Amino acid sequence: MREPSVSGRWQSLTLTVLRDVHFWIPVAVLLGGLAVLRWIS
Amino acid sequence: MDQLIPSQQSPAVNPNRLRQLQALGILCGFGAGAWLGAAEAPTKLVNVGISPVVVSLLMVAGVFLARWSVPALVRGTGQIGWDFRQAPHLVVWGVLAGCLWAVANTLTIFAIRDVGLSIAFPLWNMNSLIGIFWGVTLFNELRNAGARRWLSVLGGALLMFLGACLLAYASAAQTTPEHALRGIVAALAAGVLWGTMYVPYRKAYLTGMNPLSFVAFFTIGELVTMIILAVSYGGGASPLLRELVMAKEVLFWLLLGGFVWVIGDVFQQYAAKYVGISRGIPLSNTNQLWGLAWGILVFGELRGRGLSLYAQVIGGSLLMAAGAGAIAFSSVTGKEHGSWHEAAHREGRRYGVSAEYVQAGLAGEDSNRKIAGANSRSWLDWSIVAIATAVFVGLAAVSRIPDIAVNWAAVALLSAILAAFLIACGAALWKATRFS
Repeated sequence: MREPSVSGRWQSLTLTVLRDVHFWIPVAVLLGGLAVLRWIS
Repeated sequence: MDQLIPSQQSPAVNPNRLRQLQALGILCGFGAGAWLGAAEAPTKLVNVGISPVVVSLLMVAGVFLARWSVPALVRGTGQIGWDFRQAPHLVVWGVLAGCLWAVANTLTIFAIRDVGLSIAFPLWNMNSLIGIFWGVTLFNELRNAGARRWLSVLGGALLMFLGACLLAYASAAQTTPEHALRGIVAALAAGVLWGTMYVPYRKAYLTGMNPLSFVAFFTIGELVTMIILAVSYGGGASPLLRELVMAKEVLFWLLLGGFVWVIGDVFQQYAAKYVGISRGIPLSNTNQLWGLAWGILVFGELRGRGLSLYAQVIGGSLLMAAGAGAIAFSSVTGKEHGSWHEAAHREGRRYGVSAEYVQAGLAGEDSNRKIAGANSRSWLDWSIVAIATAVFVGLAAVSRIPDIAVNWAAVALLSAILAAFLIACGAALWKATRFS
């Protein structure tokens, strides 16, 4: 079986990260933190 | 993909090894508390009119230097490259964690300004409760642990929270909060951000990444976010540069604070790896106790105040110590570690990480060492160490010793305790895991 190309591997990893619900929890919290920072400053 | 995953029936880590790693994680948690608390000391020497955001940026600059030079010295950058090739997706998690840290740290500055340290500190210190929540819900921590261990961890964290409230109240300056709601929201948001920052930590360590590699990626997100925030809040790059030039005499102390903080954070990372975030983070939150010890013993804070204040300090310290003790004695059982094992292999399957790498991480072993033999340092490693050293020496040469009363006997005593933690944690990490 052929090895996936480097760009193919990165594309697959990016998709896996984006489909991982664990990724979106810190992202949502980060956006919330930035919104609070904007509000208080 | 299935061939990457070892049988779930095979024992994850043998019981003796598990006990050794547990003890190591708990020792690192206490070491982290002492070093993170001491990181506040150099910043107390800075008493010039530079903005809090710039103070934070300069500490992060010291952190950046330390986060690359310490791993280069201890393991070599070749090991970072090896970790990157094994689990490249963790770079994203490291950078994300760094962004969370920088925003949280900036929020704490505004929280202190608006409601004072006494209210803000316990509010953001609830990050350990958030960490426990994520540890349990996302990573199977405390699963199959039994009622007694649940009680120890949750009860210990609550005791520490109460102790933190009492200590913060005792150490409060006489401030008049002008924007109470704004400050409380900022402190709570900082606690949620810091508590959630442990999601990427745990993700990385369950997958087998070495803490010294993770922090190298973490610091990129930290420094970039902090520069963006400092430029935004400072009114552009030129005013920021002017402020940095104006503060050149104190740059060394701020960078030193960042360096000391990194040593504590490295121990915190190892604690998160070997005892999980639900136990490691509350233990490293004893930093408040050490910060107060430096303030009272070295800088004479609270001098001449009433007996009731000292009673509050002693009471708060005892509560925190009791909470930390309860958590330290709630060791991970074989069954609970089996649940960690399941979570680790779930991560391995999702991202196609080799089972050998994941298993080596869980057992505190270095999968690269098995393959490539002993670590070696390259010219790049020595260059990084030389540049970091040159920056610190150069800034020390132009720095000014602040005109502030310091109790040098207390400095010597607390520094000796720090050295003892450094030697004990460093030797234990080397002996048990070779810094894996």
